[in-house]
Amino acid sequence: MTALLEARQVIVRFGGLEAVGGLDMAVARGAIHGLIGPNGAGKTTVLNVLTGFIRPTAGRLVFDGEEIGGLNVNGFARRGLARTFQNIRLFGAMTVLESVLVGAHQRFSASAPALIFGARAARAAERAMIARAHELLAFVGLGADVSDRVATTLSYGHQRRVEIARALMSSPKLLLLDEPLAGMNAVEKQEIADLVRQVRAQGIAVLLIEHDMQIVRSLCDHLTVLEYGKLLADGEPEQVLADPAVQAAYLGRTR
Amino acid sequence: MDYFGQLLANGLVLGAIYALTAVAFTLVYGVVRLVNFAFGELFMLGAFLTTSLMLPEVRLFGTVVPMPGFPLPIAALGAIVITGVIGVVVDRIAYRPLRNAPRLAPLITSIAVSVVLQSLAQTIWGAEELRFPQFYLATLEPVVLFDSIYLSVMDLVVMATAIVAMLGLSLFIARSSLGRAMRASAEDQTAAMLVGIPVNRVVAAAFAIGSGFAALAGLLYAQTYGFAHSSMGFLPGLKALTAAVLGGIGSVPGAALGGLILGLVEALGAGYLPNGTAWKDAISFVLLVGLLYMRPQGLLGRPELNSAGRGSLLGGASAAAGSWLGGLFAKGDALLARGAAAGTPAAFGLLAVAVVVGLMVPSDYWLRILTMVVIYGMLASGLNVIVGFAGLLDLGFVAFWAVGSYLTSILFVLVLKDGYGIAPQEVWGLLYLNLPLAGLLAAGFAVLLGTPTLKLRGDYLAIMTLGFGEIVRVVAINWMDLTNGPMGIRGIPAPNLFGISLGSPRAQFFFALALAVVVVFAVARLVRSYVGRAWVAIREDEEAAEAMGVPTARYKLYAYATSGFVGGFVGVFYAHSQQYISPLNFSLFENILLLMLVVLGGLGTFIGPFVGALIWIAFLQLALDLPFVQAYPETRFALLGVVLIVLMVFRPQGLAASARVGLTMPGARAKEAA
Repeated sequence: MTALLEARQVIVRFGGLEAVGGLDMAVARGAIHGLIGPNGAGKTTVLNVLTGFIRPTAGRLVFDGEEIGGLNVNGFARRGLARTFQNIRLFGAMTVLESVLVGAHQRFSASAPALIFGARAARAAERAMIARAHELLAFVGLGADVSDRVATTLSYGHQRRVEIARALMSSPKLLLLDEPLAGMNAVEKQEIADLVRQVRAQGIAVLLIEHDMQIVRSLCDHLTVLEYGKLLADGEPEQVLADPAVQAAYLGRTR
Repeated sequence: MDYFGQLLANGLVLGAIYALTAVAFTLVYGVVRLVNFAFGELFMLGAFLTTSLMLPEVRLFGTVVPMPGFPLPIAALGAIVITGVIGVVVDRIAYRPLRNAPRLAPLITSIAVSVVLQSLAQTIWGAEELRFPQFYLATLEPVVLFDSIYLSVMDLVVMATAIVAMLGLSLFIARSSLGRAMRASAEDQTAAMLVGIPVNRVVAAAFAIGSGFAALAGLLYAQTYGFAHSSMGFLPGLKALTAAVLGGIGSVPGAALGGLILGLVEALGAGYLPNGTAWKDAISFVLLVGLLYMRPQGLLGRPELNSAGRGSLLGGASAAAGSWLGGLFAKGDALLARGAAAGTPAAFGLLAVAVVVGLMVPSDYWLRILTMVVIYGMLASGLNVIVGFAGLLDLGFVAFWAVGSYLTSILFVLVLKDGYGIAPQEVWGLLYLNLPLAGLLAAGFAVLLGTPTLKLRGDYLAIMTLGFGEIVRVVAINWMDLTNGPMGIRGIPAPNLFGISLGSPRAQFFFALALAVVVVFAVARLVRSYVGRAWVAIREDEEAAEAMGVPTARYKLYAYATSGFVGGFVGVFYAHSQQYISPLNFSLFENILLLMLVVLGGLGTFIGPFVGALIWIAFLQLALDLPFVQAYPETRFALLGVVLIVLMVFRPQGLAASARVGLTMPGARAKEAA
């Protein structure tokens, strides 16, 4: 089976600095794929490349058999790549329900007259998406009581869940999570890890950046390790984490 | 060659003046990232103060006051110092409390400060021009270059002063410790504060120097053209801002270069283009728009200045929390929030109140005023779509309003009546056709003007839309065949329905009210859907919206089009209600006024624009009962400006901000709860 997302020889340069140097990686369908590496290894840069936020200096991106390198950000989202952000980026003045509904933007198509005159199809679409948003909020573990609260007033952990619900709302093929466990306690981490497994169970592949090696080991099917913007190791978690080069990168070189 | 040389000389003088003012904009923008629109007015104050200090006596508040009659250099120095102090005071009162507020707040207070200073100047010095006194150097024989270019001694003095002042400033910024502190604050205010730089004092210094430069430019301008007037700072202020942007705002050499280019282009354009003097104001703005489109950071600027922080334009922190004012707001908020939660019933309640008021008010005078409230409320609602919901600061909205007004006026008066001799009452139905037609035309126009702005954000967007608005106004004045130019179009028929004239004030009020229902209903339907959610998402975080699959460029244009449609639609009725329009009706001041109404009432709410319009128009009328205002009618605008500044400091989110708008279809939510 071909990979869902493939990056080939991706290079990103900021001025003279090479943040990503000739990276090859592939995310398989239905996989939970971990992207790890020490601080400054270029993980978030790679994630930004894979979601269209940064246009690579060179290299190709193939998603679901289609070349997507030239698209703009919303084009990536429309093809089925949904993401969350390292520092949560919910929409300030919106309620939880409204924020989550923004994720479903591409599912709406009513014209301005249809909206103004309240066409039946437009109403049906709105009702269906609101129902789906409630389902997803329940799915990420948020009660019905939060849906009308302004999203940015929720606790940190709940905001992360809203962000995941918002990303899932677009019915993506690949969900990209940038440090979804940052700042959480052990119980919350397990809950989010379980949530990620449930997402995968729905046939959605997940790519996540994470630092907690225990979670990574138990959660991921596949790991890509970056160091200084270059591929250090790639493969099954047990095998990758046992690699002396990876251990050296994390623990510091002793040689 | 002679002609060219003379134009060149004129351009250099004008360029020197623009450059000096541009330095003021650039200096303050560099340090606090604020486009201080009030520099145009400080420019004017510099001119007035110098002129006054040079004269033996001046009429102030209508009474003759003896003046020292200083020679120019001493008067100029005095004026520069006084203006510098005013600049610092303005910063302290109107800008410093907003240092950490969202970007739009200080921009709006700076516009308000502008209005306050201009109307105060008119109150103090009166509405007439104050003639600049003859000065010894000005009586000297002009210097003749190459046998043909006449440069007066004062022209040379103007250029020399500008060069010396700018070299001095560059040296000051490069060498002195205060200059170093300025550069540090410009790079990173927080970091500068952490290393012990008294940032507030540095900012005050930037304001003092900037205001001094503006005053210097103003007095040189007054000297060159021979007069001082309360509105003299407006256009040069805009031009100087253009020059600063042209050169790359934040860069002093850039400001000098931009001023020079603008002065030369304007002088040469006025001299060589057909009918150039009439179009010279448009030349600068076309240059501005073109440059912003191709190279938003300006000639010498840095690209990162074209960005705005994420988040709401307004809102958040309020200095009023806890005080009695805060308590008062809290009570009103609870009421508004309840009303907004009630949704449609509350809207019907308000409509019922409006209908009852319309039936009960006995005087035609007050009915006319209430009609204006509804018209301004509708226009502000249109502006609110783009500014309040989509978060794009648009200073060119009046253009859409003008398109509607002119379309219907041209068709009814210039084409049908004057062209074919058809009386308006025979074709009364055309009005009802014109409403949507003008809406569509203005929407198309809005998309056209919106497209080049898509790359721009924040202050740059405001400046570019302002340029568009000014271009449209200059075109309306000069395209005589189409618009009748500054004479305007007279005899636009009152609205008419099946041969019955709706010209009476009461009928007009209800006509306006009916249109308002249409406007609010349509806008509300769009906002309370995926479209409104996309707009608010763009306002709150454009990148995140894009990542959620929102094609942000398209939805910005959608917001422009909606806003334009409302402007054109309402413009048609406006023309028929006033029965006379001229380019003066569609000035930048009207746009600023509409913006203030939306901000006053509450950005991103449905009721806010009407609250703002009601308060403003009622305020205008009631203020006329104050004896002081009766004596000096101009102070009304100053009072409005003060109200707005107070509001920005204590309640930046607007009076009706808690009438929060839901962004889901009302019906869809009701079903889901059942």
